[in-house]
Amino acid sequence: MTVTESPTPRFRISRHKRLAWWVSGLACLLSVVGLLVSWLSPGIGAPLKPGLDFTGGTQIQLERQCVLSDCGSITVDQLQAGLAALTLPAKAKEQAPSLASAKVQLLDGGQTLLLRLPVLEADQSQAVIVGIDRLAGPLKTTGTSVNTIGPTLGSQLLQGSLVSLLVSFAAIALYITFRYDRVFAFLAIVALAHDVIITCGLFAWLGIFFGIEVDSLFAVSLITVAGYSVTDTVVVFDRIREQKKALAQLPLIEQVDVAVDATLTRSLYTSLTTLLPLLGLIFFGGSSLFWFSVALAVGIAVGSWSSIGVAPTLLPVLSRR
Amino acid sequence: MARQQGWFALILALAIAAGALLASFPLQLGLDLRGGSQLTLQVLPSGRVKTVEKEQLDAVKDVLERRINGLGVAESTLQTVGSDQLVLQLPGEQDPSRAAKVLGTTALLEFRVQKAGTEAEMQGLLKLKRQVDAVLGLRKAKVAAAAPTDKPVEPKPSLSAEDLAKALTSLGLTVPPGASETDQLELLQKEVNRRIVALFDPSSLTGKDLVSAGRQQDQSGNGWDVTLAFNREGGEKFASLTQSIAGTGRLLGIVLDGRSISEASVGPEFKAAGIAGGSASISGRFTADEARDLEVQLRGGSLPLPVKVIEVRSIGPSLGAENVRTSLVAALSGLALVAVFMVVVYRLPGVVSVLALALYSLFNLGIYSLIPVTLSLPGIAGFILSIGMAVDANVLIFERIKEELRAGNSLIRSIDTGFSLALSSILDGHVTGLISCIALFSLGTGLVKGFAVTLAIGLLLSLFTALTCTRALLRLLMSYPSLRRSSYFLPLAQLPPAST
Repeated sequence: MTVTESPTPRFRISRHKRLAWWVSGLACLLSVVGLLVSWLSPGIGAPLKPGLDFTGGTQIQLERQCVLSDCGSITVDQLQAGLAALTLPAKAKEQAPSLASAKVQLLDGGQTLLLRLPVLEADQSQAVIVGIDRLAGPLKTTGTSVNTIGPTLGSQLLQGSLVSLLVSFAAIALYITFRYDRVFAFLAIVALAHDVIITCGLFAWLGIFFGIEVDSLFAVSLITVAGYSVTDTVVVFDRIREQKKALAQLPLIEQVDVAVDATLTRSLYTSLTTLLPLLGLIFFGGSSLFWFSVALAVGIAVGSWSSIGVAPTLLPVLSRR
Repeated sequence: MARQQGWFALILALAIAAGALLASFPLQLGLDLRGGSQLTLQVLPSGRVKTVEKEQLDAVKDVLERRINGLGVAESTLQTVGSDQLVLQLPGEQDPSRAAKVLGTTALLEFRVQKAGTEAEMQGLLKLKRQVDAVLGLRKAKVAAAAPTDKPVEPKPSLSAEDLAKALTSLGLTVPPGASETDQLELLQKEVNRRIVALFDPSSLTGKDLVSAGRQQDQSGNGWDVTLAFNREGGEKFASLTQSIAGTGRLLGIVLDGRSISEASVGPEFKAAGIAGGSASISGRFTADEARDLEVQLRGGSLPLPVKVIEVRSIGPSLGAENVRTSLVAALSGLALVAVFMVVVYRLPGVVSVLALALYSLFNLGIYSLIPVTLSLPGIAGFILSIGMAVDANVLIFERIKEELRAGNSLIRSIDTGFSLALSSILDGHVTGLISCIALFSLGTGLVKGFAVTLAIGLLLSLFTALTCTRALLRLLMSYPSLRRSSYFLPLAQLPPAST
């Protein structure tokens, strides 16, 4: 078995560690500030702007049969007033929900309508569609999508996502402790938390400034970022462990530099090849996967950074104690 | 050498098998990709039942399955989720409101006998009910027909404001301020129905004793009747019930979910033996659709526990098709770029890895159709991400091979060492990924589960293809001396001068 014999790496991460720590520290700080600002802002009231999946409600998307030039003839106010005036069918002893709080969005120059409504029964949603058809019709029947999430389901989803995230954190930490040691496991979790916090922070700011909401797909992307981040970090750690045996006479800082240098090309290439399909989805994919792909792409880029600049540079600091 | 050929034969056989699987079992697309509706139903505990047990969930599922089959939607599926939920998928169905209505009702059918001595009160209520129903029916018909017709509506049932107010106060109802006349009529209708039901005694003859239900047009030809057939026990109960009230002027009430849908008198000719023969019909001037839905509910039996629709998702077929097309194009263009990248950076092994990744994709799709995995948008995302991991495995191996070559090792030796040195990090990366998948699958909900399944399949296959396919193909190529050149692996300038 031959091992790289050059203990003089071209790129020494230890020389840039302060810069790396500053960049990461600042990004984490900005993210935490974003999460707090979002939490304290009266319009959101949560660290991330929760979407339909978590709040519960009915979302109706409708496509109009109109030529683009005269799609603009209808306004949000007209539609909102029309919705507020609708009477919905209700079951005996129950009050039909009021549509006065309905939110209407016009997409694609007025060709697509997006309605945010309180939780509606199936026949009530149908009544809304019929009502909109009268106001802004004719509608394309094949372009309709209705999503209703009950309030209980929303909290179940949130709980399920959080629990699965935490459980996978713990399981991964256990695995690394078993394969490497506790310091490695701790640093892998630090890098992972770093990646997840920055991805969340970005979406907190997106929620504050552009009203971007997070849905259950966002939870999926966070868990994926977590898994990917660990994979990335583990590859570097695997190299460090190898160098510890091969270059046992050198200080740990040197071993880390050699290992990071040796895996640098791989880390960059792998991130690039994973980013390529995601960039494809961002630029050419359907709108339903856009923010999901953005979250994944950001998480993977940040994960690559933390596996090069954060986890390995912290290793000598922690191991000294 | 023979060993490599053995591997190669295995890979070829697997590829053919995957192709055959795909040809015979086409991929199942999720509702978000082909359009349709999905309803999530929550089974609620009621009465003595505090928590929903598995048998009760299954019993609810059985009843709902029979009702859905009655609806006639092709390829519908009903699955239990967790301990107290059911998910119904209706491909191609755009308007889930009817399904929601048919599924949500308990359909508890009872035949009840009128209490003795309430004849006069019943007469008055029934008269009022007919009036109110007629007026309301007329109003609804007017609203439904947007353009008013010139033809005069012949017998115009009406209820003057004065009579309405009198009727309301006589039943002890207070009208909320600002209620329209229609609201008042509906209020009156509800109260009248409640009082009619209260005039009947509960009885032991319920929908449980039904063996079948059907429908037929009524004698007038304007509406539909629902016909019932009882089992032997039910037939006997029905006979004795009808015998007890024959010729007395007391009525037989047919009560569905606590709502009286029909009241029938039993003529004196049945005094001797009651209505025997075990069949009956409910006439309630139903429309064809109403009669069909009622028939479906009755035939399916009553739900042992009430259910509530907590989630409805429906997506139009054109939106679905658009999602498929754009996502496919995006994924393929991304993968094409990855292929170009691999060939440019890694040369000959790059070509090998593109081949191995093509096989990898084929195996993945083959397994999707074998299990089968229903492909949804998150599922496709999981697939794309697993391709990223599979490429990573190849990158790790090839980088190691390059390092070995730069260190001056021979080509064949570098390849072998590259594979064995990359193994531990590939393994660790994939295992941590699989750990996440397990957490996601066991704790996540529907969408998240679909993602976890495709990612897990992808990770397992990626371990297999990176360590066998790539290796076997590379070794096979290396058996040709003309290909055994270090310059096919990395630029000559990077090779140490000592190596040849």
